[in-house]
Amino acid sequence: MSENIVVRVENLTKSFSRGSEKIDVLEELTLEVESGEFLALMGPSGSGKTTLLNIIAGLDTPTSGTVTVGKNLISKMSESMLASWRTRHVGFVFQFYHLLPVLTAYENVELPLLLLPMTRAQRKVQVMNVLDLVGLSGRINHIPGQLSGGQQQRVGIARAIVTDPELIVADEPTGDLDSKSADEILDLMGVLQKTLGKTIIMVTHDPRSAARAQRVLQLEKGKLVKDSRNFSYVTGNAGN
Amino acid sequence: MSLFSMLATSLISIVGITILLALVGKVPINYSIRNLIVRWPISLMTALAFTMVIGVLIVMLAFVNGMYKLTESSGHPENIIVLSDGATDEIFSNLGYTDVSEIEFNPGVSRDELGKPLTSWETYVIVNQPIPEHARKGDRRRRFIQVRGILDPARSGIVHHLVLKSGDWFSTGDAGGGVREVTVSEPGKEPKKVNATEAVLGQGIAKEIGPDYMKPSLEVGDVFNMGDKYWVVAGIMDSGGSTFDSEIWAKWKTVAERFGKVTYTTLVIKTDSKEVAYATATDIVKNFKKAALQAFVETDYYDKLNNTNKQFLVAILFVAAVVAIGGVFGIMNTMFAAISQRSKDIGVLRIVGFAPWQILVSFFLEAILLSFFGGVLGCIVGSFADGFTASSIMSSGAGGGKNILLRLTVDMKLIFSGILFAVAMGMVGGFLPAISAMRIKPLESLR
Amino acid sequence: MNNIEKYLLELLDSPLQLGALILGMIAFLAIIVFANSYLFYFRLMFLNLRRNIIRTSLTAIASIVLVFVVTLVWTVLWFLNLVTSEKAKDFKAIITEKWQIPSQMPYAYEASLSEGAPGQEGDYKIDKSVDAMTWQFYGATIDPEKKTRDNIIFFFSMEPMKMTKMMDGMEEYSASQLDQLNKLCEEMVKDKRKIIVGTERLQAINKKVGERIKLTSFNYKGIDLEVEIIGSFPEGRYNQSAILNRDYLNDSLDDYNRKNPNSKHPMSNRNLNLVWIRVPDKDVFQKVERQITDSPSFTSPAVKVETASSGISTFLDAYRDLLWGLRWILAPFILATMALIIAVAISISVRERRKEIAVMKVIGFTPIQILFLVLGEAVMVGGFSGLVSSIATTMVINNVFGGIKFPIAFFPIFMIPIDAIWWGPAIGISTALGGSLLPSLSACRVKVSEVFARTS
Repeated sequence: MSENIVVRVENLTKSFSRGSEKIDVLEELTLEVESGEFLALMGPSGSGKTTLLNIIAGLDTPTSGTVTVGKNLISKMSESMLASWRTRHVGFVFQFYHLLPVLTAYENVELPLLLLPMTRAQRKVQVMNVLDLVGLSGRINHIPGQLSGGQQQRVGIARAIVTDPELIVADEPTGDLDSKSADEILDLMGVLQKTLGKTIIMVTHDPRSAARAQRVLQLEKGKLVKDSRNFSYVTGNAGN
Repeated sequence: MSLFSMLATSLISIVGITILLALVGKVPINYSIRNLIVRWPISLMTALAFTMVIGVLIVMLAFVNGMYKLTESSGHPENIIVLSDGATDEIFSNLGYTDVSEIEFNPGVSRDELGKPLTSWETYVIVNQPIPEHARKGDRRRRFIQVRGILDPARSGIVHHLVLKSGDWFSTGDAGGGVREVTVSEPGKEPKKVNATEAVLGQGIAKEIGPDYMKPSLEVGDVFNMGDKYWVVAGIMDSGGSTFDSEIWAKWKTVAERFGKVTYTTLVIKTDSKEVAYATATDIVKNFKKAALQAFVETDYYDKLNNTNKQFLVAILFVAAVVAIGGVFGIMNTMFAAISQRSKDIGVLRIVGFAPWQILVSFFLEAILLSFFGGVLGCIVGSFADGFTASSIMSSGAGGGKNILLRLTVDMKLIFSGILFAVAMGMVGGFLPAISAMRIKPLESLR
Repeated sequence: MNNIEKYLLELLDSPLQLGALILGMIAFLAIIVFANSYLFYFRLMFLNLRRNIIRTSLTAIASIVLVFVVTLVWTVLWFLNLVTSEKAKDFKAIITEKWQIPSQMPYAYEASLSEGAPGQEGDYKIDKSVDAMTWQFYGATIDPEKKTRDNIIFFFSMEPMKMTKMMDGMEEYSASQLDQLNKLCEEMVKDKRKIIVGTERLQAINKKVGERIKLTSFNYKGIDLEVEIIGSFPEGRYNQSAILNRDYLNDSLDDYNRKNPNSKHPMSNRNLNLVWIRVPDKDVFQKVERQITDSPSFTSPAVKVETASSGISTFLDAYRDLLWGLRWILAPFILATMALIIAVAISISVRERRKEIAVMKVIGFTPIQILFLVLGEAVMVGGFSGLVSSIATTMVINNVFGGIKFPIAFFPIFMIPIDAIWWGPAIGISTALGGSLLPSLSACRVKVSEVFARTS
């Protein structure tokens, strides 16, 4: 496994103010994620795991501290820079899929590509590739209403990888699925990691989903309290 | 730049900018269209509200348009109309022949091949005529008829550019000229022989009086009653589209005596061109000392008569503006609701990387699409009004006025105005919602 | 209070209106009783409307604005209808030249016409000291050099004391205003050179009460009069009008003719324009009409007698198509637009609440109750907006703007009638019912199974 660090978080603090009160959602977090890692973020509700995910994914900025993803110091980027950064570098998978209900599977997957300078033909190649990968080439013209939960999530995953981002963030991807579909989705994510070398950070409650990850991080009250690995890899230190 | 080209340019630029925005905005226009179609009942109702507003606007403007077209075609720029000083309308004018006839020697006056001046001496009166019961619409018991006593009909025809559609001009000879003996058969009475005065009618008034005698329109040879006298139709003027459509012309002497107006009211002079007309009119007003006169270039005179028209236009625009508020608020509701329903979509678009301004453009365009569609429908609905005739009054506002028949006219100018108005409403109504769409925070919308 | 009393008396006159009023009161009581036992529904409707303040406000404002326009249009139509509908008692008739307009008769006709031309035994005689009025139109400018619209005045030349007795619209003035006017008229009788000019006309010619002006006439050329402005009319329909004592005009005309025995003034036999008479009922009207038209004294020119409303009808004839358009195209389309806007707002609100409606059904609410709930919300918004609009419109237009200035014939101003106050709620409620019918039907057809639906 390469020693490439994809995500580097240093002394990350995120606080919200509610009137005169200041609440620290994340406190002085430091963390490194390597390229090709499949990492699960767990913790009780209110532990800050979703906030951490959002900051790493460029959806939110820290109150203090730095976050570097790939070569980009994203914690210092403006909102508009983050927007265009996200398109190329991060793919999102949501618990409730969040597909645009009026667009077909094809069009939903194509959406991020519209922000890149590609011709229609080039986009078609990309989209069909990923739809093929997730096993939905037979349903490209269906709208979400015509797809099952599992199929919708696969469209969601296809959309997440269509711009070939290095990082995939998933927020409870199997939360709304039955166990069979959940397994299929987790298998798929495993394929992404092993075959495409994607780095995956997944927030989950579900221990069975966590079991699929190589590394599990436990958060509590905004602090990293446990960091374990399920499989042994020859790695460097990865925080405590 | 004419009004038409201004409207056309504005419309084309708006369409152009819209297309440009759609392309640059990058949020696929498909998305907006599909969303409108998926929620078709609400989209349709909103569009129909626009249809109603624009449809009504088009009909009202067609009425005003008809009035303007009528006055445009009634005046000729090389004619001068002379009234006595102080007369705000032909009705109040008094021209004494002996005093005024010297005007004919003015060099500006055109002459025919025989060297006679091309002038039209006229006495304009408005006559009250009762409508027989069977021809009454509603409880309309009387009508006002515009009657013009003409000294020399053929010459007047030349001056006013009027030709006869059928029949002949009435004769004007002093010795019984212009009078015929006709047989009149009134329902329930014995037919009798009477003397009827010859008259030439405009097409409009012929159609108006026709039903009194159980015909769609009076024709050459028909006899009718006016002012307690019998008249016979000698000819019908081809006058469509001008104010003469609603007039009855007859021998001057008969009109003057019968209706007690023994002076002339109007003198219309033909000159060679617009410039000569202006020069001559100014000359008359300044230098003609024998009588106090007003002289107008005919087109200017009719332009002044548009005063009521201008007031109608103001009233219509006021109503349109107020009703537009209703339409704008309607579309605001629709768009706000659409946005709150699709806030998750918006969140996803932002997360995937679309910039806030692109979201704004997408929803702004959606509002424009909706209003454009409704507006086009409204123009189609409104254009059914084209061709209907309506009665109205043309007046300068200071007393007097001509009863006229106008044709509602829907032309491209109107259609463009209608569509522009609709799109403007859509833009105003869609703006705030689009801004609120732009401000949706991606994270919050997905929680 | 004067107006309201008059209105109630008028109401009691017409059985149809009285019936409608009683029905309305019964309905109102029924709603109150009903409301008490079903207070929960009303609370729920109100809360639902309050959920989305923006949407409810936009709908309400749009309705207010549209009711405003319809109120203006209906006011014009209502008023014109009023003046052209034949009255049964105590109405006025006008006598004018038979064939021509403008109507110009010789003043010599006055004596007989003002009495109704009684000729034989048994003929009806009008009491011309109270029930007759003559009009002679006198138009002049105060600046003979520069004649513009702003320095001309059109006078109704008449007997001053007849003004408050016979002119239209005097009932709208208060007792003190009438008193004031009567005093001015008495002064005019004492000095025939005194005149009354409406406030707007005074402003236009830039003169004030108390000033003396010289009038140069354009329709009575050569008959120039020197007058003193002693007062004005209260705000209203006579803002642009002016009154001149007819004696001054007639005496000046006689003077002129005496000085020019060989060329009498052209207006000498055309100086009487209208004669008004008041008759107690239709029978008397027909009798007097007969008397006048049968009389041999009025042949050259011939005269005609018609009721005032008939005369005005003929005058408005030219506008018949325009008025038809206002009544049957403009107003209905605006009402349809209002219904659509309410329909949109209610549809949206129903769509958002489908799950909740399903839950209500699970708990046991019947479809009819759901229907009632949604219809009720619409009616609340529509009725309330309509009421607010008509009250505000009536107050503001009548009191701040002094009425609607619509350029039709010789009517300078249209005042919104007090009836308009119920037009608003009526429009609001009916358009709300019409517009929300389909969405409410859709709401009551929500299936219970939708409780378990996924987010669509």
